[in-house]
Amino acid sequence: MRGDVLPCARMFRAWVVAVVLAAGVAPAHAYEFWLRAQTIGQAYQLRDYRLIGPDLFLGVRRYTQTLALRIWDVGDLAATRREAHLPDRGLRISWQSYLRIDHDFGDYTSGRVTLQLTAPVRRDALDVTPELGESVASLELLYGYLELAGLVDDRLTLQIGRVLADDGWGTTGIDGVAARFEVPSVPLTVAASAGLAVRASSPLGLSAYELDGTAGAACQEYVEGPTPGSGTWRLIDRNRIITNNRLASDYESCPQRDVAQPTVGFSVATARLHGFGAELGYRRTWSGSVGLIGPVDRLTYPDLGLYPNDFGQAPGSGVDEERLWARAHGELRAQGVTIAPYADVRYSLLHAVIDRADAGVRLQRGGHTLEPSLEYFYPTFDGDSIFNVFSIEPTTDLRLGYQFTGPIVIHASGWLRAYHHETGTSSVAGGADAGIDRPLGRQWRARVDALWDDGYGGRRIGASAEANWRPVPTFWLRGRAITLGVAPDDGGQGTSARPRYVTSSSVFSTTWRLSDGVAVHAIFEADYDAIHDLQYRAIGMFDLAFAPEP
Amino acid sequence: MVARRFLRWVPIVVAIAIMFGLGLAGSVVADQDHATAWSPIVYPMQRLPLVFSHATHLARGTPCAACHPAATTSRSAVDNLLPTELLCRACHPIDREKPELIVQGAPPVACLTCHPDYVNGAPVARVYLTPPPLKFDHSAHRAATCESCHGDLRTVALATTQQLPTMAACLRCHTKGVDERHCADCHLAKLGGLIETSFPHGVLVPAHGGLGDAHGPDFKNHHTQEARQVGATCTACHDRSECVACHQGAVKPVDFHPGNYLLTHAVDARRGKPDCSACHRAQSFCVGCHEREGLGTRGDTQWSASDPSRAFHPPGWATAGTGPNLHAREARRNVASCASCHRENDCLTCHSAQPGALHASPHPAGWRGSARCKALDRGNRRMCLRCHIAQDELGCDWTAPP
Repeated sequence: MRGDVLPCARMFRAWVVAVVLAAGVAPAHAYEFWLRAQTIGQAYQLRDYRLIGPDLFLGVRRYTQTLALRIWDVGDLAATRREAHLPDRGLRISWQSYLRIDHDFGDYTSGRVTLQLTAPVRRDALDVTPELGESVASLELLYGYLELAGLVDDRLTLQIGRVLADDGWGTTGIDGVAARFEVPSVPLTVAASAGLAVRASSPLGLSAYELDGTAGAACQEYVEGPTPGSGTWRLIDRNRIITNNRLASDYESCPQRDVAQPTVGFSVATARLHGFGAELGYRRTWSGSVGLIGPVDRLTYPDLGLYPNDFGQAPGSGVDEERLWARAHGELRAQGVTIAPYADVRYSLLHAVIDRADAGVRLQRGGHTLEPSLEYFYPTFDGDSIFNVFSIEPTTDLRLGYQFTGPIVIHASGWLRAYHHETGTSSVAGGADAGIDRPLGRQWRARVDALWDDGYGGRRIGASAEANWRPVPTFWLRGRAITLGVAPDDGGQGTSARPRYVTSSSVFSTTWRLSDGVAVHAIFEADYDAIHDLQYRAIGMFDLAFAPEP
Repeated sequence: MVARRFLRWVPIVVAIAIMFGLGLAGSVVADQDHATAWSPIVYPMQRLPLVFSHATHLARGTPCAACHPAATTSRSAVDNLLPTELLCRACHPIDREKPELIVQGAPPVACLTCHPDYVNGAPVARVYLTPPPLKFDHSAHRAATCESCHGDLRTVALATTQQLPTMAACLRCHTKGVDERHCADCHLAKLGGLIETSFPHGVLVPAHGGLGDAHGPDFKNHHTQEARQVGATCTACHDRSECVACHQGAVKPVDFHPGNYLLTHAVDARRGKPDCSACHRAQSFCVGCHEREGLGTRGDTQWSASDPSRAFHPPGWATAGTGPNLHAREARRNVASCASCHRENDCLTCHSAQPGALHASPHPAGWRGSARCKALDRGNRRMCLRCHIAQDELGCDWTAPP
């Protein structure tokens, strides 16, 4: 009996579902979207220098595909106002994302290296240099978030997803939420973000957002020897099975790099002020210690198996970054001169030092712009990095830039950098460059540049000349010649074991715009220098996202 | 020695700077006021082969709406609000059959009065007014007087783009307009919400307008300060992917580094400026190439193994004991360049307090008890444990045994 009834019951249920769906389904919507896809293929060779015998050539065969997507006004919530010719207000929902696929399948990343150990050992280049893993293969979501704008009387904007946070010196990706609220009656906005910092180990993550890229020592652990204190740092084993994976290192494990890094930040900034802006912000990122990194009894002696060593003193968590920053800029006009002063400072609470600061003023009158500025830099690193505790000498830069924009364009700049030594003395480097860019008739343009710098790091002096011919608006032909003399400097000792050399380079390139956003580029380069003799490069590019500079 | 050589140039540089400043202040160069200038892209070139005097008409008490009646109802910037001949006929008894007609007691009616190039029998020169690529609703601004946007026309003959409001004028009332969310209130937007910047008559770029976002030549390579501005309006026109494509780039922009930069980049890298890490990740970009090309320590190193002039580090670079130990000075000056290739374990071979290591302290003088030591220890003791395994060595208050 059941066998007779069931089909009818199924049919009835299917019919009910179909009716409900037909009655309840929403009408189809189509949304505005903007999409930009780029496909970039690269094929070139790099030298593997060899003292004996000819250099080898390593092939880079790299495929990169990017997809930028914006979907606007999801739900058509702004349609009524748009049709009434009114500015967008009220809730608007949009989506923005940027996805990248990157893969290098050439010898450069996928080749093999012979290591001269006790006996020659041949290994994948990726296993010898795990950092190459960043180029081998990746699928990365650089950002992707749903934005809800126009909430709370058009004062609140929310972003949910992989959002970007910026402190003026760097951008961090966060998997979480960012909010911005415009305070009524006071010209201020309050912004806050919270979530997990994006790392290489995040889903669709990328290492470029790692706080500074160091803390690589976390890929090894201290393994005690036969007697206390006689141990060594070794790669973390974790009973790893060598699978000869060609897309990742077989010999490395970095559990601390896989740990989630919660991050919170907030800032208060001015809003709706014409000619003045200021911001005060704070961000803190921390992470838990890995703790057990393998079976407790995996070693030949009792251990706790805790990161970063086996004595168990590691704290439960550690701060990776904690910063406070302030920035301000203004713009005022007097006697036809635009005066735009600015000052920025960032303080690392983790290091108890000011790590970045600058101040300057941009003066503009007509086409003339003059900009003196002062910049201070104290290198700081991820909270797990031992470079933080090293003796570090900060630098101060004095810069002066000038530019004239008119029928001709002139630029000139000079810089002077002081390296502040612990002893109270300073070393100095400095330099200057200048150039002039001038149209010659309607189709030709010429540019000449010169460069000189000296002091710590070495000396360079050189010049370049460029001519640009654009007979029709869709076609460019450029030629450039560069010559540069270099005198290397080793560690500021004033002398160098390295030879001086002169390099010269000639570049010819052409761009043909086929239609809006579509162009073909061809570049040919010939270089000569004391090391390489004569070498050539030829690059062809089919560009589906061409945007000529104005 | 080097320092002295540079320091003697400082007064000269300062003097040149002062001269430039004075030169600018006293410059007789025409004041091309970008803040209040009329953008040729927003207001494209007009052709007005007309003779007309607003001053005369206003002096007679003619209201603006008499000639521009649609101005009170127009809802779009593409509407043509110029008076047609029909409107002129309300006062000027024009007779096309009599182009040189003079009517006693009436305003001028001869064709040549308004059309200076008029030739009898030839077509009248056309007026060309390309609509501005803007959204503008005149009817929404009815409460404001015409003068508040178009200025005082009582002294103006023929009105041109000079009588159209600049962006600075709009922002006087529309203070929210400085927020990039509101750019599209006036500017045309593309699909996806970005501002349309490409027009047949040119590309729309920001001028100085109190927003700190002027685009000068070579802006692509020098936009740090503009991008850092509080409330920068970059993303009104640019999709964020344009920033990320370079700064987190997988592909080098063709025109950023000069030719053969591979050979000459060492000087920049050693100095640490420009900030390589703005686009290249610190600890993987450099080492990948150096190791694969034989200029490192892990891979094939035969190129530099026995040729001091070509080795990446010169002789005497890291000497345990007596010797120049050149790396110490370099590391102090630009530890970021060390970190671009070396993992921390390379340093720990010598710089560690663990038994068996050289115990070469990398800390600066006065480290113990310093605010930096205490802050780092408080914030993340994991880094201390990399070298100090004995409990009594941890923290910043202990005293080294004699």
